[in-house]
Amino acid sequence: MPLRSDHARWSPVAKTFHWTMALLILGNGAFAFWMDGLKPSLHKINMFALHKSIGLTVLALFLLRVLWRTIDRRPHDEPAPAWQKVAAHTVHGFLYLLIVAIPLTGWAYNSAHGYPLQYFKQFNLPALLEKNEALSNALGAVHEYLFWFLLIVLVAHVGGALKHHFVDRDDTLRRMLPFGRAKRNTPTLPGDAP
Amino acid sequence: MNPTIRRLSTLGLALALPFAASAADYKVGPGSTLGFSGKFQGQQFDGSFGKFDAAISYDPANLAASKFDVNVDVATAKTGDNDRDGALPGSDFFDASKFPKAHYVTTGFSKDAKGNVVANGNLTLHGVTKPVALKVAFSPNAGGARLSVTGTVNRLDFGVGSGDYKDTTTIANEVLVNGSLNLLPK
Repeated sequence: MPLRSDHARWSPVAKTFHWTMALLILGNGAFAFWMDGLKPSLHKINMFALHKSIGLTVLALFLLRVLWRTIDRRPHDEPAPAWQKVAAHTVHGFLYLLIVAIPLTGWAYNSAHGYPLQYFKQFNLPALLEKNEALSNALGAVHEYLFWFLLIVLVAHVGGALKHHFVDRDDTLRRMLPFGRAKRNTPTLPGDAP
Repeated sequence: MNPTIRRLSTLGLALALPFAASAADYKVGPGSTLGFSGKFQGQQFDGSFGKFDAAISYDPANLAASKFDVNVDVATAKTGDNDRDGALPGSDFFDASKFPKAHYVTTGFSKDAKGNVVANGNLTLHGVTKPVALKVAFSPNAGGARLSVTGTVNRLDFGVGSGDYKDTTTIANEVLVNGSLNLLPK
């Protein structure tokens, strides 16, 4: 199987990035709400450390994904009204922005609070900011609100994919599913040899 | 040994004894600090005790007569982090309401391979007494002397950090202790 995507389907590499990050982001979000309710203990400290490590992993995967995008191809958009194409790409833009902004505000929040930042107990990362309690509280709120915003953007992203799948009955969702195979019901564009 | 030499050495010993019995006595003056450094999540943090007292008798030429006796109010530990400073005096760590003071008293002095003076003594912390050695640097000055000591304490030897807090992958076992005392004549 080719590593790069082609005009009709996403490659296994692109799919792996997409679904691994989706799982880590949503899982880490749910995990955060659970760990927040724990009683103060070393266990809680270790759970927060795990949340931070997962968040840093998302940030690292994002950087790799952007690098990969520069050498990968992209399938053509499935037929849709122009405004829907613009909307779909705008939503993607916001998702990318949030995937960076959420871990970074978390990192800044951690720094402003004066906590160390250790990646899975292996090595430490530097603080982004000086210790500042008021700023730390604000960044903590921003970190959380951005996640709520991500969920709203995700409704549009998932909604769009489902609309293409069930209403337009095209390959938009199918070609990104882990084991999905494109139906190839879109006409091959001239010059796009399979 | 002939009688004259025996008599003279007895005299010598008698003359030396009063000196051997005493080293200069000092009290702790302003500008003295007693600190410690631990490691949390791979990052060093530094703390100090706001209240401590020490009786120091020291003579670099007469270590046999020297002695450190230090009392520390463990509840006065501050590390610059509210969460940590709130937790340290609690029952999971120092348990300061039950064991308000840490006490260090020397049992003798020796010299290490490099010729540094080492204080050997017993530290009582959190109700546990164990030997702790401190490297000593002493420099007399116009007003008295500056005394610096450094050493290492394994917190778990003293049961500091109970239950979950025994986890040394999050909170290191080793704690560096450092004292810098501005000694004034007593």
